[in-house]
Amino acid sequence: MEDTRALFWNLSPFAVTAFYLLGFAAMGASIWGIVGAIRKYQRGQPAPGFPGWTAGVGKLCADILTHRTLRRRDAFAGMAHAAIFFGFALLFVGTAIITLEYDILKPLFGITYWKGAFFRFFGLTLDLAGLSVLAGLLLMMWRRGVRQPEKLDYRRAYAGEAKARPAARKWKREDWIFLIALFVIIATGFAQEGLRHAMERPDWSVWEPAGHWLGALFSVLDKDTLHQARVMNWWFHGLAALTFLVALPWYKAKHILAALGSLAARDPLALRRLPKAREGAAAGVGKIADFSWKDLLDLDACAKCGRCHEACPARAAGYPLSPRDFILDLRLHNNVAKGRDLPGKRLIGDVIDPETLWSCRTCGACLEICPVGIEHPVKIVKMRRQLVESDQIDPLLRATLDTIGASGNSFGEPARKRAAWTRELEFTIKDARKESADLLWFVGDQASFDPRNQQVSRTVARLFRAAKVDFGLLYDGEKTAGNDVRRIGEEGLFESLVEHNLGEMARAKAFRRVVTTDPHTFNTLCNEYPEFGEITPVVHYTELLRDLLECGALVVKKPLGLTVTLHDPCHLGRLNRRYDAPRRVLEQIGCRLTEMPRNRDNSFCCGAGGGRIWIPDRPGSQKPAELRMREAAALGRIDVFVTCCPKDLTMFEDARKTAGLEKDFVVEDIADLVAKAVALDTFDLRDLPALTEKITAAIAERVALTVAKQIDDVLARRILPTAALPAASPAAAAPPAPAASAAPLPPPAGVWQAKPVAPARLPIYEIPPKNGVRIMVPVKQIGKLGDDFVFTDDQRAIPDEYFEHLLNEWDDTALEEALRTIEALEGGEVVVVTIGPDGAEDAMRKALAKGAHRGVRVWGEHLADADPIVIASVLAGIALQEKPDLIFTGAQSGDQANAATGAALASLLGLPRVGMAVKTRWEGGATLQVTRELEGGVQHNVEIDAPAVIAMQTGGNMPRYATMRMIKLAREKPIAVVEAANEDVCRAARINRLFVPQTTRAAMLEGGADEIAAKVVAIIREKMGEKT
Amino acid sequence: MSGILIVAEHTRGVLADSSADLIGAAMAVKAQLGGPVRVLVAGDVPRVFAEALNRPGVDEILLAQTDNAHFDAAVSEAAVMAAARAHEPALILIGHSASGVSFAAALAVQLGSGFAADVFGIAVAASGLRATRGGYGNKVNVELDFPGKSVVTLTVRGASFKAPEGHGDARITTLPLSLDGIKGRYRHMGFEEAPASDIDVSKAEFILSIGRGVQDEKNVPRFAALAEKLGATLGCSRPVADSGWLPKPHQVGLTGKVASSCKLYIALGISGAVQHQHGMKHVETIVAVNTDANAPIYNVATHGCAMDVFVFADALERCIG
Repeated sequence: MEDTRALFWNLSPFAVTAFYLLGFAAMGASIWGIVGAIRKYQRGQPAPGFPGWTAGVGKLCADILTHRTLRRRDAFAGMAHAAIFFGFALLFVGTAIITLEYDILKPLFGITYWKGAFFRFFGLTLDLAGLSVLAGLLLMMWRRGVRQPEKLDYRRAYAGEAKARPAARKWKREDWIFLIALFVIIATGFAQEGLRHAMERPDWSVWEPAGHWLGALFSVLDKDTLHQARVMNWWFHGLAALTFLVALPWYKAKHILAALGSLAARDPLALRRLPKAREGAAAGVGKIADFSWKDLLDLDACAKCGRCHEACPARAAGYPLSPRDFILDLRLHNNVAKGRDLPGKRLIGDVIDPETLWSCRTCGACLEICPVGIEHPVKIVKMRRQLVESDQIDPLLRATLDTIGASGNSFGEPARKRAAWTRELEFTIKDARKESADLLWFVGDQASFDPRNQQVSRTVARLFRAAKVDFGLLYDGEKTAGNDVRRIGEEGLFESLVEHNLGEMARAKAFRRVVTTDPHTFNTLCNEYPEFGEITPVVHYTELLRDLLECGALVVKKPLGLTVTLHDPCHLGRLNRRYDAPRRVLEQIGCRLTEMPRNRDNSFCCGAGGGRIWIPDRPGSQKPAELRMREAAALGRIDVFVTCCPKDLTMFEDARKTAGLEKDFVVEDIADLVAKAVALDTFDLRDLPALTEKITAAIAERVALTVAKQIDDVLARRILPTAALPAASPAAAAPPAPAASAAPLPPPAGVWQAKPVAPARLPIYEIPPKNGVRIMVPVKQIGKLGDDFVFTDDQRAIPDEYFEHLLNEWDDTALEEALRTIEALEGGEVVVVTIGPDGAEDAMRKALAKGAHRGVRVWGEHLADADPIVIASVLAGIALQEKPDLIFTGAQSGDQANAATGAALASLLGLPRVGMAVKTRWEGGATLQVTRELEGGVQHNVEIDAPAVIAMQTGGNMPRYATMRMIKLAREKPIAVVEAANEDVCRAARINRLFVPQTTRAAMLEGGADEIAAKVVAIIREKMGEKT
Repeated sequence: MSGILIVAEHTRGVLADSSADLIGAAMAVKAQLGGPVRVLVAGDVPRVFAEALNRPGVDEILLAQTDNAHFDAAVSEAAVMAAARAHEPALILIGHSASGVSFAAALAVQLGSGFAADVFGIAVAASGLRATRGGYGNKVNVELDFPGKSVVTLTVRGASFKAPEGHGDARITTLPLSLDGIKGRYRHMGFEEAPASDIDVSKAEFILSIGRGVQDEKNVPRFAALAEKLGATLGCSRPVADSGWLPKPHQVGLTGKVASSCKLYIALGISGAVQHQHGMKHVETIVAVNTDANAPIYNVATHGCAMDVFVFADALERCIG
């Protein structure tokens, strides 16, 4: 007989049948659990990033077979896992091979193969596999029990928790049970083999070395004991293995299956390209079923390995976010919810704290290192979308989003100042909207507006110029690219920014490529814009500099010989795999690069990403950038910390100071280093006017001089008095005389008149019948003036192009008060009224998006420069038709600040009024309680009869945020347009002229400290009065 | 018809500083405009304010008896209307204060008068009265004329004019006032003091602001004490708030608050990043102290001194004792 062994030794047919039944039951339970899990995932939404099973499984196999994702940054754990995984896989294959013969081929066809040489080789292989599993398990136990790496501690020290939560203690038990259970299964298997060898002593015994050795050991036992032990251990081993099979879809073992799915379903562009908000559904994730099926699968795939926890910059700096704990908290919730709504438990608030979501910098460190392909930041952004949609955002972030919505940049600067940084250049950069160029430079916010980065932008521009690169800008046509807006969760605003920028690029003259210095811009242009429209290839300036240096367009004249370290920007390196260009540039300019321990894909975020730069840091918290500075300082002697990202430069410059490392090294942008190496300061970059222009200009100047002289001579010979001559040059500097059209009206001749102003007579427009109370809120679209502007020729106005248009902040407060009043009354409507041309509807749309029910816009050309009294008379004309129960106005406007509309409107309507109100309470009755704020913060409580006019001061409430999506949806709301006839309006004032108040650079106070202090005290007394 | 009518203001028995300032404003144009200067004060016992309002140049003080000690915009409007009808002034001056703005524009409606608010310059041009005010966040000044108006109502920015010192010899007369039809639509309920810790840099008139130049959290209380002594609100730049040295409400700038009511801003150890300037560069008078003579803060400051903030603080403390 050939070498083999019997199965089901010594078992009665009944016992065999019982075991088969148990086996099928276990398999059934396992399959039931797996199907349940799959059904749970199916309750999720579609996963747009899913690459398809063919591609996904291919990548999965590559990663599993190489164990690439498990070996990274934890070779020990990777090795131990490989020993367990591959050992277990072989054991599984071995069992399958036996089953194939014993249960299928042999009974059906009489085919057997588990014998002879194959049997011996099989025995050896499986013995080694089992030993490998045991070794791996022991290593894992040693790691957990002895080495105890910090990342395996589930206590949330970063969130200030001193004790592990009950769930965390359960996880710890679960980890140990998992290891021990596996160990027991394998160990009892070996014991069974040893007992068999001890009883049967086969001559091929050495082919199962473990059995052979254990058999020898067990031989000391008598035959009966061996027999009994063999029977008992067989059942124990068998039942343990079946129990494990049952446990597979639950508990820690579930990662074995779920991770296969999550790895196969990985989005190759995860985080680089965020999913669009679903049409017609909630913008974000507010309940578990809003997640995609891949998200839900991810929750089960997590093996709690802690690699993400270790890599997260937010966690490292003490923010309440650990990507692992975020996933585990969601998993705990979904274990109960199973992809359905769980009444009484809010996903955001009860399961995940909003603060956790805001802590993320979307640097992708967690996603990058996760061995099972979990996409944490994508989930965070999806949940942020919900926070934005429901207005649970930091007030400063809200203000920034408003600013971006209004002016297209986060700095609150007018759009026309976007290219102001170019003014100091010796040359003019092409306007890509007017001239074609090889490269379009998309500058981005930080590089356009931050003074330190403006210097870098100029250096980059000069380098391009010196290298004869043909490039252009979109100038004020560019708006922020929106990478961080999207990552904050304001999807609608992002979409409108994309639409704008793609439109500008499409309208621009031809260009071949886009270049940017900003990795955030780079990322969204490369990966996200293509989903919205066509875009030419995008390169990062480090790639361009590398090419320019390599092709000799830039020649290194002074190799720098500096020792430097390089920070890989998250959005350039980790997310877009551009690691080499900056390193190559450094090499070419003669820098010695000393890498920080965390480099390339493990680069440690500066903390500014994901819109975090717009959210104030928690007082007393460390900044990720400071941790990074210390990491660089620990390298020992480095001269320069090199950045290639505008935000990095800002963050690290600050952090170097706050971490007290100012003497250790400097932070510089790579372009500045290149500029030094190529001796940029020796280049003449000035614009050289074309020869013909030069000749024309020279001739013109000559002619002008000669003619002027001749005229002077002629005039001098005449005897005309000079006073009668027309002024030779326009008196630009002198204040102009009152314009001629302002024919001086004689002071009213003797009659003192008091003629009350009346409400404007306006055409009747359609008003729906009242349904509950009606509150009227006049809203104004104000003009915010930038630093650069000119007056119109008559000096009475400033052209519209110099203004950014915004909803008046005070009116926003009034609207909020009106909305809250209506909400408290659970009924009624808010009508917003604005006076202005078509364009003024933007502010009203915003008001409608926030919840106002309908709008009325009044316009007539004569209202263009109306004074507050005229405005009030028009509003009164509307109020007479609307018959509101209450009117909330802003106490003043942000641009003209007359603080007159409320009082004037009340007077026109004969209504009682309160000015500078900060608090109101109205239950719909005959009176309302109002608190008005006086100088110095004293509050005055009054009661007033309704209807009334309440002028709201800011600060009384926090106006809600209208997302771009809500603004788009509000397009459905009705706006009545009323034409105001040019009746004989009674103007209260007329602008004589506008002028710029004199400002100069500070007059420096001179003298000793005491002298200066005395002067300052004098200034204080002069300004603030003697009481100080 | 001629002369100037000044409307005095008082809160909780205390005359507002602005009332005397208005007398200063009237003096700027009294000679050219002609006619008497009258000061109207309304209240339950208006006589108590007469003495303080009797400054050189004031010709008459009108006392209007009301039945409520506390401000009511409708009552103020009625009192001024009565005075205006009785004396037909060419100019009515009201303080640009929380109370002043609650009825000034209403007067402009009832009188059909010329109107300008928050005025800091008044002159008489060939065409008549001319007022100057700020526009667009005080980035420009606006000159306003009032053609065809026999009376002009102006609210005047605080501390824009100096009150005449000394004692005048005004007549004190009573202005008959009927308040029928106003009564009962508005009731005074009480005052609440501002909470002591309440910081609102957007409403502060005088701010002493600190930046990273103060170097350490433990230096902050010293500057807080200095601010208190000077009667200033303590402000700060973003790094100071971010470091947790001061609570967020103190922060001036784009991400903090705009010092929108501020008239005097002292910046200590602040370099003047754009984001900070956003919150303060419009302030009329800015004193900047920074060791770096090229700091951008000096581009927006009125006065500067390139010195160490601690040396400056030492000297200032000595100076104010």
